Amino acid sequence: MTEPVWGPVHADIVDLLADHPEDVPAVVDHLTKLQDLLVRLPPLERSCPLADFNRLYLTITSRVLEGLYDDYFADPVFLSRLDVEFAARYFDAMRLWTESSPTTPRAWSCLFKRMKGPDARPLPSAAAGVNAHINFDLPFALVTTFDHLESEPVDGTEQHRDYLKINDIFADKIPSLRRGYLERWQLLLDMLNGDIDDWYQGELVEYTRDVAWRNAQKIWRCRHDPQARDGERTRLDDNAAALGRLLLSPLGAFLQ
Amino acid sequence: MASDVDSAPLVGRADQLAALRAALHDDIGPGQTAAVFVTGESGVGKTRLLTEAAARLRDAGAVVLTGSCLDIGDASPLHPVLQALRRFDADLAAGQARTSSAVRGLLRTFAEESGGADSAGALLERVSAGLSLIAEGRPLVLVLDDLQWVDRTTRQLLLYLLAGLGGLQLSVLAAVRAESLQGAHPLRRVLTELRRLRSVRVLDLAPLDRADTDRLAGEIVGTPLAPEAADQVWQRSGGNPFVVEELARDLRDGHDGLSDTLREIFLSRVDVLPRQAHAAVHAVAAGVEPVEHWLLAEVLGLPEPELIGALREAVAHRLLVGADDGYRLRHRLVAEVLAHELLPAERAGLHRRYAEALTQAPAELHQARLAHHWRLAGEPGRALPAAMAAAREAQRLHGFAEAHRHWSAALQLAATPTSGRSGAPPEVDRAVLLEQAAETAHQSGEHARALSLLAELTGGEPLDPSCGLRIRRARYLAAAGRSAPAEAEYRGVLESVDCTARDRAAAAARLAELLLHLGRYADAGQRAREALELAATVDGSTTEVVLASSALGFSEAFLEDPDAGLAVVRRALETAERSGGPEDVACAYLHLAELLTGPLNILEEGVVVARRGAERVAELGLGRTYETRLLAIATNGLFRVGQWAEAEKVVAAALRHRPSGADAVELLLARCRLSVGYGDVEASDRDLEAVATMLAGGGAPRHVLPMLILRAGLAMWQGRHDVARQAVQRGLTESRSDDVVLLGALAWHGLRAEAEAHASRTVAVDPTAVRRLRDAVDRVTAKSVTAAGPVRLNADGFLALCTAELTRLDGRGDPDAWARSAAEWDKRHHPYPAAYSRLRQAEALLARRSRSSTASKLLRQAHEMALSLGAVPLTSEIRTLAGRARVELTERAQPTGRRPGRTRSTGVGRQSAGAAPATATGEPVADELVTLTAREREVLTAVAEGLTNREIGQRLFISERTIGVHVSHIFDKLQVRTRVQASAIHLRNRGE
Repeated sequence: MTEPVWGPVHADIVDLLADHPEDVPAVVDHLTKLQDLLVRLPPLERSCPLADFNRLYLTITSRVLEGLYDDYFADPVFLSRLDVEFAARYFDAMRLWTESSPTTPRAWSCLFKRMKGPDARPLPSAAAGVNAHINFDLPFALVTTFDHLESEPVDGTEQHRDYLKINDIFADKIPSLRRGYLERWQLLLDMLNGDIDDWYQGELVEYTRDVAWRNAQKIWRCRHDPQARDGERTRLDDNAAALGRLLLSPLGAFLQ
Repeated sequence: MASDVDSAPLVGRADQLAALRAALHDDIGPGQTAAVFVTGESGVGKTRLLTEAAARLRDAGAVVLTGSCLDIGDASPLHPVLQALRRFDADLAAGQARTSSAVRGLLRTFAEESGGADSAGALLERVSAGLSLIAEGRPLVLVLDDLQWVDRTTRQLLLYLLAGLGGLQLSVLAAVRAESLQGAHPLRRVLTELRRLRSVRVLDLAPLDRADTDRLAGEIVGTPLAPEAADQVWQRSGGNPFVVEELARDLRDGHDGLSDTLREIFLSRVDVLPRQAHAAVHAVAAGVEPVEHWLLAEVLGLPEPELIGALREAVAHRLLVGADDGYRLRHRLVAEVLAHELLPAERAGLHRRYAEALTQAPAELHQARLAHHWRLAGEPGRALPAAMAAAREAQRLHGFAEAHRHWSAALQLAATPTSGRSGAPPEVDRAVLLEQAAETAHQSGEHARALSLLAELTGGEPLDPSCGLRIRRARYLAAAGRSAPAEAEYRGVLESVDCTARDRAAAAARLAELLLHLGRYADAGQRAREALELAATVDGSTTEVVLASSALGFSEAFLEDPDAGLAVVRRALETAERSGGPEDVACAYLHLAELLTGPLNILEEGVVVARRGAERVAELGLGRTYETRLLAIATNGLFRVGQWAEAEKVVAAALRHRPSGADAVELLLARCRLSVGYGDVEASDRDLEAVATMLAGGGAPRHVLPMLILRAGLAMWQGRHDVARQAVQRGLTESRSDDVVLLGALAWHGLRAEAEAHASRTVAVDPTAVRRLRDAVDRVTAKSVTAAGPVRLNADGFLALCTAELTRLDGRGDPDAWARSAAEWDKRHHPYPAAYSRLRQAEALLARRSRSSTASKLLRQAHEMALSLGAVPLTSEIRTLAGRARVELTERAQPTGRRPGRTRSTGVGRQSAGAAPATATGEPVADELVTLTAREREVLTAVAEGLTNREIGQRLFISERTIGVHVSHIFDKLQVRTRVQASAIHLRNRGE
């Protein structure tokens, strides 16, 4: 038989993924356990590119959890549902990868493939994960959350403001993660938050970090039309995958 | 005809079939529900598995209804259910006249549904009643394929039935295409929420493994494959059974080499089709599946023998499948392959022929299909009336989301320039379309869309729209949570000289209501007075009077002039009774009962008003909606004043109306609160599962916190402090800090869980959790200072409990803190937390070995309070403590004969008090069972056999609820807390 996808920690990861966390404390718990497993994954172990992303994501999500406990958000119901749904998509991608499913989003599989090497620098690795998660997963997580809460993505609402606060958390956490790389991170984040189309078309002037939100609104409008919805999905996946491959190429290393 | 088509054996799914049968049939107790959702990629064999499982369930004696959802995007509400019923009826044998008439009766219910005022819930109720007639006591299985295309109404029906609200023993087996769940599909959340329930399973159907792939291919070819061919099949199919089958067939039929992809397989088959068969496949691809035989004949215009010949060819080439109800493409890929083959004009021609054929004869989904085909035939003028008819049809069945989609389509059609052959478009008032589209958008929760449609209606001109439209705009804005512009719009109407007094009264009343929700009580009061003045000048404005009076009443109550507020709301009820419609009367009762049991905390009167109101609205014919709401208020009031037995009766009466949606959730929570108090784990669990099922449908986040609080409360009685902690943590991260009362209750549960974990050492105290709980308490304290009086009153009760629990965590507990808590709850006439506080106060006193006489007195008080409530777990905690402290509990607790509720003291008085731990530590007494009645002994015997209350009820022919009462009495008399302990005593004494 071929070697299991997750090598020596395969069984542990499959067990972990069998569980579907339903609140933010459980998501943090999940990410923590995942981190412990990913750094044991040969050949790269501590420098596993997925672990680089997971570490960053864990830091951000823990901060979001603190924010929820500390009354930092105006609509915690929305934000916690969004956070859980958002994380579920990362776990889903891992699950599909585990099953070697051809439907694994390409935005993710370009990072998953690199777990076996060659080693990529931690910064672009984490960035590739952030790219897949924000540019591909987030718009869909937003749509699902709004649909579930029988609400809708409207600019200037409490939900929109809470959503934008997450960006502050990113900005706040990232410099402390890698001191001295702030400007490059900033550049990277600005770039990541746009999909390549929009970037080229120069639509990013006003809403640099808001592209996932815009995309969610776009999907929201066509969510009853399966064909248009799938079209959006393919478009976002293609864009995110292209950017992800770029980040993991030798070019990405310039960032660090 | 198609001997070859379905003969492929089912390989590698034996385990799943057995699991399905067990989950959906064998393991379900009477009256319970279950569901399995099968997910998997296309071609993995979901439909096949469903068919096989359905056949097995049918053999096992179940009534199986099977339907599929449609992907035309604008289907009609409940379509898959209707389709299932029609199919079932068609398959019934001649001897099943009674079942058949039940099926037709239910189909008539759909046909006759008027879409009237009596809410969509009534339809759900009628459907479940109809289903239960069809089932005639047999287990019912609803099998739904392609659930990814399910309409919203069917989704709600499923959750309603699965929550047990239909009173039906039902299981659901549904297949969902995994790819669809990856996007933003609404089912995604539903399945995530459901999958943690015990009654629900999500079965992820994986591709076949290598061995099964070889087996399947071998079976199809007739001999085991050569290793090289087997390798190729495995490599190319990835174990997907559909692909394996097609590849193996190609191999068997001697096609040159293996096709690389399914697409190639289908392409080559389409290429070799004879001309008429080719046409037939294209026609089916353009139709809405299943395409009926008669319809296909009309569209193709072939004489019958030739048509049959063509269809045979298409089936033999494995491009079409035929069933009794019509034809389908064998796989979605076939449609994709065909899509590139037709010229646009050819495809439009096919749709035209469909539309023409359907115009002449009614068929399933008539209007929706007609609209679909005319639109694609390039005839917007003819599609338009059909789209409008389909929208009205959906509205009739309360499918506002579907109706909205049809109205939107109608708008687009009306805007499409008609060309060429079609005549002039029918005269349709665009304003009517916009208004309908806006209102249905609002009704299905798409307020932003409703607003933009409304903006279009006013033509984007800044000039005055009509007053009616402005009020509507304000209403949509308020619903969308945009209070500031909503307020501005209402003010605009109020200031406009063009608006009538009636319009202005309506605007003022609604504005008052909005301000009340925003907590701006003074402003709300002012606007409400304005509304009342305006309404006084207009005849027939009772609705506005009722609305404004309630806003005024509540604002006064919050501003601490309760008497004035109460008087206004009472007057509104009189006005409604004198001159209002039934809804006005119902609303007035509702407001009065809410005011009394809510901010005013005049519980006894509130309960009386709610119950009287319930009777009155039932007379008025508004039983389903308003009566259930009023009874929910009565139940919660009765719970708080400690009349639990009465509360139980009321909630049972309310649930007999089979409410749905938020009303149902409210009642289930109320009943669960009672069950948790009684310590009935089984009943509590069942209601919590039902609530979670209903909440999986989305909306109503306000019910999540009460559910989590109950989950924590139940876990605490079970000694599962970690479970309680998890529920509280989730609650803390999902609550707004201005919701001080719920947050206070939540924090108390969290602190109590930590304190009890500390005391009992079940799990380690989590210092981080405690720190967060302290923070939450601080926030509630800070917020409640500025909150309105009534809110502060309720919050303070929970804060007293929190403060006292914290002293338990810091040390042995501070008796003074507990005394303060008891006093707070006494002040509110809320005996349950008051009794609990006394227990803790006594415990703290005893731990300090001081004032044991005070402690004894407190324990006896607490014991009497808990007993008269019927609060079994609390009673036994009190007894355990009394036993440890050698406190005589019953000294002054001789039955006085006036205890309300489920008095559990019977027999206890005769036993020596303080003997609580006897069963655990003392010598077994020879006549331990002597205090039990004959019936109770029967019940205990059954308990010892491990039967559930439900099963015992069935055995002894009495209700499950009564069994619950018997079991509680048994626990009381034997002084035990668990079924296991009771069974142990039974076994010890069995010899006699």
